[in-house]
Amino acid sequence: MLKILIPTFMLFPTIWLVPGKWLWTATTAHSLVVASASLSWFKWCSETGWVAPNLYLALDPLSFPLAVLACWLVPLMIIASQNHVAHEPLTRQRTYISLLVSLQVFLILAFSAMDILTFYVMFEATLIPTLIIITRWGSQTERLSAGTYFMFYTLLGSLPLLVALLYLLNDTGTLSMHTLQYIQMTNPDTLGTMLWWVACLLAFLVKMPLYGVHLWLPKAHVEAPVAGSMVLAAVLLKLGGYGMMRMMVVLGPLTKEMAYPFIILALWGIIMTGSICLRQTDLKSLIAYSSVSHMGLVASGILIQTPWGFTGAIILMVAHGLASSALFCLANTSYERTHSRTMLLTRGLQMILPLMAAWWFLANLANLALPPLPNLMGELMIIVSVFNWSSWTILLTGLGTLITASYSLHLFLTTQRGPTPQHFISMDPSHTREHLLMALHLIPLLLLVLKPELMWGWCF
Amino acid sequence: MSPYVFTLLIFNLGLGTTMTFASSHWLLAWMGLEINTLAIIPLMTRQHHPRAVEATTKYFLTQATAAALILFASTSNAWLTGEWAINQMSHPLATSTIMLALALKLGLAPVHFWMPEVIQGLDLTTGLVLSTWQKLAPFALLLQVSSTVNPLILTLIGLLSTLIGGWGGLNQTQLRKILAYSSIAHLGWMVLIIQFSPPLATLSLLIYIIMTTSAFLTFKLTSSTTMNALATSWTKSPMMTSLATLILLSLAGLPPLTGFMPKWLILQELVKQDLPMLAFFAAMTALLSLYFYLRLCYTVALTSSPNTITMLTPWRLNPTQTSPLNPLTTMLTLALLPLTPAILALVIY
Repeated sequence: MLKILIPTFMLFPTIWLVPGKWLWTATTAHSLVVASASLSWFKWCSETGWVAPNLYLALDPLSFPLAVLACWLVPLMIIASQNHVAHEPLTRQRTYISLLVSLQVFLILAFSAMDILTFYVMFEATLIPTLIIITRWGSQTERLSAGTYFMFYTLLGSLPLLVALLYLLNDTGTLSMHTLQYIQMTNPDTLGTMLWWVACLLAFLVKMPLYGVHLWLPKAHVEAPVAGSMVLAAVLLKLGGYGMMRMMVVLGPLTKEMAYPFIILALWGIIMTGSICLRQTDLKSLIAYSSVSHMGLVASGILIQTPWGFTGAIILMVAHGLASSALFCLANTSYERTHSRTMLLTRGLQMILPLMAAWWFLANLANLALPPLPNLMGELMIIVSVFNWSSWTILLTGLGTLITASYSLHLFLTTQRGPTPQHFISMDPSHTREHLLMALHLIPLLLLVLKPELMWGWCF
Repeated sequence: MSPYVFTLLIFNLGLGTTMTFASSHWLLAWMGLEINTLAIIPLMTRQHHPRAVEATTKYFLTQATAAALILFASTSNAWLTGEWAINQMSHPLATSTIMLALALKLGLAPVHFWMPEVIQGLDLTTGLVLSTWQKLAPFALLLQVSSTVNPLILTLIGLLSTLIGGWGGLNQTQLRKILAYSSIAHLGWMVLIIQFSPPLATLSLLIYIIMTTSAFLTFKLTSSTTMNALATSWTKSPMMTSLATLILLSLAGLPPLTGFMPKWLILQELVKQDLPMLAFFAAMTALLSLYFYLRLCYTVALTSSPNTITMLTPWRLNPTQTSPLNPLTTMLTLALLPLTPAILALVIY
């Protein structure tokens, strides 16, 4: 663990000591080195199933895909925000990169924590950097209310979680993940235990977000700068899914009945948020709602607790992380040129930025889960396992897939095809930086399908 | 004020508190409290501003009432049970009255109303003394009587204080009032836990003193007493104002910062005492406080308010006032959480 954590910590001296003109180059290179080093986590050959275990930190097949994703995202965020903060003073640029890196530190610690309470602290610790990224570096004044929504939705869910975890700690004496699966609930049918069950999952369901407690997410995505949207969609939402999977083993027999309303909400949310996407005019908001829709699928996959559901959930989380982050980057490239997120004003970009249109096409295909991509693998596994649980769900999941395809097509056609408006003629060509950014998102996605066992969790 | 008088007053301020610390007899403890109050009164009116005089009067009246109540309760306890020792209180009438008097002295709900008004009338340094040093003597007494007070009263006062501390601060634009409400809320957490684990309450007080000191000193550095002044203060010291965001979030008790430590330990202790619902409600009231801290954060560093050109340059000048204490307390406010096991070992075991 330390061979990744120490280089990550050393990013801070790099950020603050490197001469100004080398700032972006040096930090990108350094964080790419850390990201490549983190790939060594994939080579897990421990009999216990844990990578590099010690008392406090370790990774297992469930957490290392997400930890690698968190490391991989940092150089991409740095590349993506170059243009956005270029006009700021140098100190603020350094502060901004420091915030992104501090997020990486907290995320690695969250995914590798061996103790649920450590995980909780790190889960909460990501709030402050994200809040500052949204409210300090967002553009509109609405960013402040977005920040408030973000903080209060998340904390309303997670403070009960803290109490519930402390209750469990008091009951069992340890919250180590080594022993977590051996915990038996003593009295599963009382009201207190049911409340405890809800408190254990609510924080993660808010973070995912579940339909019904999702309102903070589109706001935060719309107001955040590109790096904030990227990390929010790619990794922070996955903290919710990861936490749910970790807690599921403790919650035991109670989940069988208690999960019904949440599964229904998650499945219904796929349809509802997908329909919202169909009528959405705001580019970033559309991508945000599509995240809610996909995460609804992940939530239902986790809540029915079959091995296939878990595997599908983690595959979809990783694949959706890369695909939605790519879509936010693309939205940002057109935002930097047109200064508008309204889709009707950013039409016909294919004529001007043809290569970008190719990236849009690929990212959209990834989002709607076209065959060779791991997104399809994840969605199929979840849909199959949910179908196995109750065959009626195919109506919801099938319709959801159809709607996803429709709004992805809508997104692509509206922004890329059609006549090019006259005022776009003097637009900047796309930069190599942006193509590199897209390649670094989509190539891993394409390669992952060749070796999906890297990210299919416990069912290796 | 003549430096001799000032020295004498400061000396007496210390003497009063230490006398209360050292005494086991109610009369001596009461004397310490009175010396302490009488010493701070001239310090509060050091600037003869009408607001300061008004605040001093209010402070004097409440503290005198509280002291009189303490005297009354301890005398009646002695009369009823024949016992003057502080930790040997046994009569419920006396302990409840003492609890009420100490709540008045500390500014706990439902007798907290003087606290925001008084702090608002004082300058930031005196306000700092009032919300840190002046809490120590009554808190020491509270620690000693807490085992004899009715648990229901303690719980009610604690929960009400965290609630009102959060609720009252919501509508404020004055920094000193906000800090006063934050003090009420923090003391509420301590009262909530004092019957179960006095060392934990002491630790919370210590952490609160560190955090509020850095908040007061930072506001003093930028001479801001209102949210408007805070909004333009980033030009004076950009570094400190960006750290002020984190100081405020630490006061709010968000995880990677020091302020989370007392909240975490208190919730853990409450759950250990089989009171998960109480822990839940206490945690929820912390969200109310978080709202106004968050609003201050938005003002101080997360938005840059429109400024005139001449106002943009003060950071180039050397600051006129420096405080060697501020960097220390700020560091402690931001980075003490990883040291929790060591601190726990020092304080509790």
